[in-house]
Amino acid sequence: MLTTSQTVDRRTFVKRSAMAAATAAAAAHAGRSLALPLLDPNQSGASLSWHKAPCRFCGTGCHVMVGTENGKVVAIQGDQKADVNKGLLCVKGYHVGLALYGKDRLKTPLLRKGGAMVPIGWDEAIDIVAKRIQANPAGFSFYGSGQWTIPEGYAANKFVKAGLGTNMIDANPRLCMASAVTGFLSTFGVDEPPGVYDDIDACDVAIMWGNNMAEMHPVLFSRLVDRRAQGEKVTIIDLTTRRTRTSELADHVYLFKPHGDLAIANGIAHLLVKEGGIDREFVERHCNFRQLGPKPDEKTPPDMLGVPMSFEEFAKAVEPYTPERVEELSGVPAAGIRLMGELFRRRDLRVNSFWCMGFNQHTRGTAINCIVHGIHLLSGHFGKPGDAATSLTGQPSACGTAREVGTLCHLLPGGLAVANPEHRKHAEEHWNLAEGRIAAKPGYHAVELFKRFNTPTAEGGDVTTVWVQVTNPGQTMPNLERNFLRKKDLADKFLIVSDVYPTATIELADLILPSAMWVEKNGMYGNSERRTQQWFKLVEPPGEARDDAWQTIAVSHRMVELGFDGMKDKSGRWLFHTERDGKEIPIWQWEHYYDINVDERLFDEYRLFSRHKHKDLAPYQEYVRARGLRWPVTQQSDGSWRETRWRFSEFDDPYVGKGKGFQFYHSVTKDDRALIWFRPWEAPPEVPDAEFPFWLCTGRVLEHWHTGTMTRRIPQLHRAMPAAYVELHRDDADRLGVRSGDDVTVRSRRGSLDLPVVVGGRGNPKPGEVFVPFFDEGKRINLVTLDAYDPYSKQPDYKKCAVSVTRKAATLSACARRPPRG
Amino acid sequence: MTRFTNRFAVAAACASLATVALAAHLGGTAAAPPDHVGGIPVPTAASKPQQSPGTELTWRLNTPTPRVVDAERANPIAGADKFASRVRSNDLRASLRAYEGAPPVIPHPIADLNVQTCRACHSEGLRAGDRVARMVPHATLTNCTQCHVEADPAHDVPASLAVSTFEGRRASGYGGTRAWAGAPPTMPHSLFMRTNCVSCHGEFGYDGWRPDHLDRSNCIQCHAPAAEFDQLSPRFGVPDRADGLEDRAWGTTTATTTATTASTTTAATIEVTPR
Repeated sequence: MLTTSQTVDRRTFVKRSAMAAATAAAAAHAGRSLALPLLDPNQSGASLSWHKAPCRFCGTGCHVMVGTENGKVVAIQGDQKADVNKGLLCVKGYHVGLALYGKDRLKTPLLRKGGAMVPIGWDEAIDIVAKRIQANPAGFSFYGSGQWTIPEGYAANKFVKAGLGTNMIDANPRLCMASAVTGFLSTFGVDEPPGVYDDIDACDVAIMWGNNMAEMHPVLFSRLVDRRAQGEKVTIIDLTTRRTRTSELADHVYLFKPHGDLAIANGIAHLLVKEGGIDREFVERHCNFRQLGPKPDEKTPPDMLGVPMSFEEFAKAVEPYTPERVEELSGVPAAGIRLMGELFRRRDLRVNSFWCMGFNQHTRGTAINCIVHGIHLLSGHFGKPGDAATSLTGQPSACGTAREVGTLCHLLPGGLAVANPEHRKHAEEHWNLAEGRIAAKPGYHAVELFKRFNTPTAEGGDVTTVWVQVTNPGQTMPNLERNFLRKKDLADKFLIVSDVYPTATIELADLILPSAMWVEKNGMYGNSERRTQQWFKLVEPPGEARDDAWQTIAVSHRMVELGFDGMKDKSGRWLFHTERDGKEIPIWQWEHYYDINVDERLFDEYRLFSRHKHKDLAPYQEYVRARGLRWPVTQQSDGSWRETRWRFSEFDDPYVGKGKGFQFYHSVTKDDRALIWFRPWEAPPEVPDAEFPFWLCTGRVLEHWHTGTMTRRIPQLHRAMPAAYVELHRDDADRLGVRSGDDVTVRSRRGSLDLPVVVGGRGNPKPGEVFVPFFDEGKRINLVTLDAYDPYSKQPDYKKCAVSVTRKAATLSACARRPPRG
Repeated sequence: MTRFTNRFAVAAACASLATVALAAHLGGTAAAPPDHVGGIPVPTAASKPQQSPGTELTWRLNTPTPRVVDAERANPIAGADKFASRVRSNDLRASLRAYEGAPPVIPHPIADLNVQTCRACHSEGLRAGDRVARMVPHATLTNCTQCHVEADPAHDVPASLAVSTFEGRRASGYGGTRAWAGAPPTMPHSLFMRTNCVSCHGEFGYDGWRPDHLDRSNCIQCHAPAAEFDQLSPRFGVPDRADGLEDRAWGTTTATTTATTASTTTAATIEVTPR
């Protein structure tokens, strides 16, 4: 912290006086007063100081320099020392500091009393939550977030799994990353990408699989396309269902039918088999082939980890996916499939696949993740700089908090699973719990959790209290009417929401807890490339707002005070007991919370879990010094800590045995081999018909981050993208007799929404398809979406459902209106 | 696959044919460059405008060669009005930015796709009536809309959504520091993504910020970057000072730019290591 001496020596005083005089002279000279604040001689700007932090928004994990002055954030710079972004940010990142200063920040706890929200004190609020949970621990569920900091997620996870002895905690990465996780687990036996962002700098070919990287991960996209400005050749192939800004900078754009991705990837596998594209040495040494077994019964899907198959069986399975057959299924010309087959076949090129929600929000999400890992393994485009299959995340800590800390209903910290008795034993040891304390049965995943919360208790709705932190299910749950809004009429349900602004979720909250955000608290995030990042609190939260982790810890302690022994370990010590020099620090009291670095205590405890799955984390203090470190972070003989870039590759991963080349040391088949899966193309669950003739796809836009609760309060971003709209193809617009700016009704079997039309905007769907962004809380497209989900990841498909689009009767003549942004 | 190899071969053959055809069309060998192509004069060494000595040392980085501008247009704001025009320019810059250092918003409608249309006006700079398109100061960054978004006043933030209470840091408005009166000033800002000086200080730059020696183009020959704005410098974070009134007592502030100790839970400044 800059703590310039306030004593002003005589020399400085003279200079400052001269400066002030010059300023006055300049102003007089100009004949007007200066509109800008010139240097105040008493401060001379010296209180401005710069600090590191990861950006608050997406999973890229850019580092920013936060400029603070007089206890406020006043400026942001891209951090030039950061590997991830090398000084560059996107428009959201440059304005991230403004996210703290929306005028309607929540500043005091509020309790619903007879329909009105009444301010209450924190003691009362904590007491209400504690008693509500204590009355029915089994009916309580946490619903968290990939925006939880790592210590926040860890505290909540421990609260539920150790403190309550249930697994009733899930988080929004279920809506975002779950299929990527099941894809990694099925293929490598352990979660998270083997590659890193350095692959972006090294690849010759970049394939965007349904991934509008130009808008969703703009800094990484620039890292790719700006190489061209340096004279390098990068071939970008955009596989997409609609033309986007990514298509604009792509060399080849192939528009495919929704669900066609499975056919395309199988088509590439077919060509690799047919035309000698298989890297035999790599496959024979390091891979096994795999397929799903038979269904145990009509309703149960086959086991996710499948059964073995031979190479011959695999070859036979992909045999039908000829380029011509793939063209029929996907709409991509056979020549395009051949081009990609050729690129994967070539050994002299480095091929990098990228995907995000197009693959993950998919009823066959696990399958498509597996197939694409498979074609990279088959062709040997794996584990060398530039040869990678890169799954990008949407949230700043979807990896760090949800996937690594395991804030999901089936996981324990460090990638351990509740269903595994050995894993439960590890957790019981780390947490000093009595044997059997951790429940073996997974809790409810996100959609199931909210379905039950929105079902009368007497009819099987056994979730009665939900505590939502750092997320906005009132806008993001699919099929909102069924999965969120019904709660309104269920008197015995109780919704607790910790947040920073009044969101769509808060409309139905019974108790609102105002939270501190981003640099108003200490924190840690983990980005898409296994990079764990740390920051310190820089400014005070407004009003009575407090850290989410403190809220969880305070409730836990209140439950101890109320006699709930679950919150104690087997030695009778409180689960969050914190001491220094043998003296307990009452961290449950807000005024003492920052007497010690609670983040450091929680992280260094959590870190012990990271060893079991070779996801080793360094001690907290190492992250204070670094711009993030990519796990596994291992200690060197000289005591220093080394991060790992290419996992499973001998040249970089210290856990790979000497001479092995590659070693998949968490292999499903326990033989150090990765699995190459065959997964067939299958029809999607809901397809357009006469009544609902359009495909609906939903997604994000560059300017807004997810539900827009932060970015819509930033004037620069709001002005650029003020409201949601529906993109139509020109032919469809003509047929409907509408043009940009006209209102139409988008209707599905579940709900409807009126939206203005955009034709020829920044995205152009194919005929018969429409696109609607989900950031606008005034126009919630999730009233319309389908809640069908992948059978393994339980992640819903927000990208495909059938809708009708009809012109609104009251549409005025087109010339009077300004077309909306789009 | 064979088909593809063939296709590539055909394409390559076509390309070489085209080269031959073009050479033939130009009616000469490569050794004698044409002075006109399609009726457009090709600049030659002889036809290049004479520049004052020293301009061969053009400081380029990613800077297009600055063009020579006649004195009248180069610096239309004479000395008497310089302070006022500086203030106006500062206001203008600030009106498009959330804080000093933020990417400016775009004060006009843009094409939603094909962001390269931005380059039609902004790659070289352009004056059209009372509007000026400034030259891009970071030519290697090509995805314009990543950082720059439209600011349409018609879409101003409605009161119902509550505006922001953010108050961004503003530029002081001072130029760089000078070692003595008459010395060339140091640069009062970071050079990161601002390597093209002409963008703000050239013909299509800001009133009041153009030098009276636009024909000299090796800017850093005389104007040194200031370490306090450079993140990679140990002096990073030391604020700018008044034009010609520089406080040289930097020692008093640099001593404090070290990381706070391990157990501190509040803000710590980044540990800064010298390059």
